[in-house]
Amino acid sequence: MMLYALNKVLQRYNGRVALDIDHLEIEGGRIHALLGPNGAGKTTLLNILGFLETPVSGTMYFNGRAVEPVQKSLLHLRRQVVLVDQHPIMFSTSVNSNIEFGMKIRKIGKSTRQRMVDEVLETVGLSRYKTARAHELSGGETQRLALARALVLEPEVLLCDEPTASVDTENQAIIISLLQQINAERGTTIIFTTHDRLQAASLAQHTLMLENGRMANTTYENSYACTFHHNEGSQVRCILQGITEISLPAPPPGRPPIQTGRIHIAPEKITLERHEPQPRNGSTMAGAIILLMAEGEKIRVVVNVGVLLVVLIDQARYAELRPAIGETICLRLEADAISFLQE
Amino acid sequence: MSFFLESFLSACRLAWSLNPELLTIVRVSLSVSCLATVFASLVGIPAGFAIAHGRLPGKRIIITLLNTLLALPTVVIGLFVYVFISRRGIFGPLDLLYTQKAMIIGQFILIVPLIAALTIAAISRVDERYRKTAKTLGANAWQTGLVVLREGRFGIAAAVISAFGRVISEIGISMMLGGNIKGFTRTMTTAMALEYDKGSFTLAVALGLVLMAISLGINVLFNLIQGRSSR
Repeated sequence: MMLYALNKVLQRYNGRVALDIDHLEIEGGRIHALLGPNGAGKTTLLNILGFLETPVSGTMYFNGRAVEPVQKSLLHLRRQVVLVDQHPIMFSTSVNSNIEFGMKIRKIGKSTRQRMVDEVLETVGLSRYKTARAHELSGGETQRLALARALVLEPEVLLCDEPTASVDTENQAIIISLLQQINAERGTTIIFTTHDRLQAASLAQHTLMLENGRMANTTYENSYACTFHHNEGSQVRCILQGITEISLPAPPPGRPPIQTGRIHIAPEKITLERHEPQPRNGSTMAGAIILLMAEGEKIRVVVNVGVLLVVLIDQARYAELRPAIGETICLRLEADAISFLQE
Repeated sequence: MSFFLESFLSACRLAWSLNPELLTIVRVSLSVSCLATVFASLVGIPAGFAIAHGRLPGKRIIITLLNTLLALPTVVIGLFVYVFISRRGIFGPLDLLYTQKAMIIGQFILIVPLIAALTIAAISRVDERYRKTAKTLGANAWQTGLVVLREGRFGIAAAVISAFGRVISEIGISMMLGGNIKGFTRTMTTAMALEYDKGSFTLAVALGLVLMAISLGINVLFNLIQGRSSR
């Protein structure tokens, strides 16, 4: 049984559609990454998953039961799901009182509360701050305290909005390892939002993509603002971010002489070649490899062709090519690699 | 200049000697103003909180109305209450006119809008994330409200102190509803007005000094609270 199931969920703010999900299922006990650019609807979706917002329409199931938009029912559900904000705010009390808050509400006895506070502070490495004022902590420590405040409640689901976006690298590592530990030890379902595709790939077992409030089938990476230049005949040149030129196999919709827009190049539809390939229907270019990374069954290759282009190749192709960081490599775009994005 | 200096020194001596008449006037002033502030706080804080925190229809109209009431002159309130509690008024049989109770009622009406408006401002300034955090940690509506109230406590305390400062220094209501009866409804401000009329400045200046000392104390307290709130 799926932990969450959302059907035709729509959320609007002042008439503007912030989220429009046709169907979404989220499995329990795993770490899920929610990827998307700013304004994609990630935070709105987290708020809905955390029962902090009720969508204007649609149905939602949690643990197989329909979620009723009734205060009593929502309160019961909220006590199983905790959301940690991107910029968490601490109550103007001590670290200890901040962590105790949720337990007091759940009417947990004082001695148990104190034992759990000590344990969770030990877990997040903040034991020495137990009696300190929560507002006196640094940004990274505040983020860890917010996690402690959530984890002490042993929620079934932990929602984290950009958990590492505003902390230094040391705290990022601590937070990431903490999330992995909680998932592994307690089986807590973790859903976190991020812009960072690499972080999503390294931490999450499942990735969800949002674009313009909708679930997207592809990653938003390799999406570029560009200018289309229509040459004589049917050939169209496309200048990516004013830097890199590629030829388009098909013209974009509408045909003024110069047109701006956005395109998406599918990372799995780019072929790497050691030597300049003969152009067929696609476009070719060359660039230096700046990153190589294993990502499940695939290998992620980031090539600098003026803009950073992500290529996903399978392991067999990788073994065949043996590309190295810094090496110049040729890329060939398949005919169906490029799609035009709506503004 | 020498006249002022002489009056000032006499006033200082009077205040220092803890003159019984002066003490009675100060006591009446403080008790009336404190009670009015307590009652107004009991109404103004919950009202302001409900307006700011709740989702009331016509919220903006209510806030505009409250802000308008802030500018209400004390004599208008005095007149308004007088109409109700005078012999011919509907509350005439209660014999409230020229009593401390009447003064408290008038001062209560004066500062309820002030406390409510400043509470609204204090609660509105509380970061929205406190409400969201309390909710996600499992708080119900009542517990979430208490969290917001706690985070706005310094602003609310400043509202109460401001209101006390307003009533301790007002004269219109005290004069019209209290009647300036010696030892009973004579407050610092009404006594000062009377002494001025008599051309006797010593007691007036002494009371002025006490009033200024109280105002200074209130402002120091106000600044301390504001400073703590902004940290």
